[in-house]
Amino acid sequence: MTTLTTTPDGSAARRSVPPPSPAPAAGRRRQGGTVLAVPALVWYLVFMVGPLLAIFVIAALHWPGMLQPVSFAGLDNARVVLDDPVFWDAVRNTAVQLAVAVPVMIVCAFMLGYYVAQRPPGHRVIRYLLFIPGLISTPAKAMVFYAALSPDGLLNGGLESVGLGSLADAWLASPSTALACLIALDIWAGIGFTAVLFAARLGSVPDELGEAAQLDGAGHWRTMWSVHYPVIRDYVGVVTMLQFLWTLFGSAQHVLLLTQGGPGTSSTTLSFLVYQKAFIAADLGYSQTVGVLLFLAGLVGLLTIRRVFRQNY
Amino acid sequence: MKLGKRWLPAHILVWTYAVLLVVPLYYFLASAFKSNDEIFAHPFAPPSSLGLGNFRTAFESADLGLAVVNSALVTVFSLALTLLLAIPASFALARSTGRLAGAVEKVFSLGFLIPTFAALFPTFLLAAATGLFHTRIFMVLFLPATALPLSVVILVQFMRTIPPEMEEAARLDGASTFAVLRHVYTPMCLPGIATVLLLNFLTFWNEYLYSLVIIGPDPAQRTVQVALPTLKSITGTDYGVLTAGTVLTLVPVWLVYTLLQKRMQQALVSGAVKM
Repeated sequence: MTTLTTTPDGSAARRSVPPPSPAPAAGRRRQGGTVLAVPALVWYLVFMVGPLLAIFVIAALHWPGMLQPVSFAGLDNARVVLDDPVFWDAVRNTAVQLAVAVPVMIVCAFMLGYYVAQRPPGHRVIRYLLFIPGLISTPAKAMVFYAALSPDGLLNGGLESVGLGSLADAWLASPSTALACLIALDIWAGIGFTAVLFAARLGSVPDELGEAAQLDGAGHWRTMWSVHYPVIRDYVGVVTMLQFLWTLFGSAQHVLLLTQGGPGTSSTTLSFLVYQKAFIAADLGYSQTVGVLLFLAGLVGLLTIRRVFRQNY
Repeated sequence: MKLGKRWLPAHILVWTYAVLLVVPLYYFLASAFKSNDEIFAHPFAPPSSLGLGNFRTAFESADLGLAVVNSALVTVFSLALTLLLAIPASFALARSTGRLAGAVEKVFSLGFLIPTFAALFPTFLLAAATGLFHTRIFMVLFLPATALPLSVVILVQFMRTIPPEMEEAARLDGASTFAVLRHVYTPMCLPGIATVLLLNFLTFWNEYLYSLVIIGPDPAQRTVQVALPTLKSITGTDYGVLTAGTVLTLVPVWLVYTLLQKRMQQALVSGAVKM
């Protein structure tokens, strides 16, 4: 969606940056105030739209480091990236991450949100607790997981105290579990926050709807999926899009803090690759080419999700 | 709706998840008062004393005190600048009916679709080009831009609910445009402004990747979110110190959340819906 919209963004904005020329009195009554929107607009174009467009420019440059000479590369970067096995590892890891984290998160969060919206005993406490991961910053979440999963951390300690010490592992440093840990972090933090969003939306669905279904003999399971789900279907779509984007773009921070992409490339995701190539390997053309691909992946994903959740009644 | 016996599995699952959310937090809080040996020997035991030694070490070894000040400065100035930009813009967009205003509003709402992360490197170049690289100032200038789309969309909706008669009455009394904004619109939009403040407070205080790259690791400038992960290596992973530091960064957010729970949830829900 973003690519489609940046062009109109840019052009619409350029038209409106110069303050509207003095108009006849009647016109000014309606339009004069628009000048007040100009500072915000300029700010937004300089710091948001400008860098976004720059990604595409840098992706077409050969730029092997900050102080190195820059030359035009055309599609060379794309060729290098597509020939690089590390890139394909990152694609695979990102695909696994999205395919596991997003559906689990959305389905669990919807059911949890439905549960909370029925106001069972203790729902206030639950609601309060569910929100906590939404408040915690990424580094703090990563520290929680670091303390829980490191060799002498909470999980191994817990396993030992119940006599399952043989199952203990260096969770974050083992190639078979590093990616799983990152996915677990996404799911752990994501379900609660998303459930609060669903609960808020489900709270505005009229009670009569559910009651009518129950009179007709539907259980909670049927009511949840055949009555409430269709009603808020487009909202589920919006939340899925958000979670998809957060997972796709946001994973760089967790990877950076917990595994640095390792061991090997077992937990390198696409967004971490963008970061790593730019700020560690100093291969700027490569980094931004992956950035463009990531961006296109986001766009395709958004359009697909929108199609899947389109209201069809 | 009645919740029958068949809800038992649901109750159990939900409370299990709630426990999963609370246990790490309890572990953190308890560990903040323990030594490494105590943590490994009895991870779940409550601390035997409430000494603040770990907090002191965290403060000293990672300069957390300074980092908290830096974070507070960046957050407060960014919030102020966001409001300074967003309130007049929303006012202008809410009361203009022209096509131009419509286009500008659309430009802002399309901003939700820009993934800020993808533009990390160009933003870094911008910081370098303006000579503001490795300063908090650039973050103060940059963060409001990322918050503008959501803030403007929320505030415009609030301002649209103000009847035009209010403005006409003020105009008859001789009020200028700024007076109308200051004395009519801003006071009537306080709930909307509070929503925007809360949402942005969370994002600004918790911001990590941009702060890491742009402000960098200099202890004099870095924010608390950047300082926090360094505790891991500085202390050779003294879990007590690490958890104490993390607890410290959570306190402001947690305080605000507990005081303004209802409002905070509304703010975040409305924020997500608009996206």
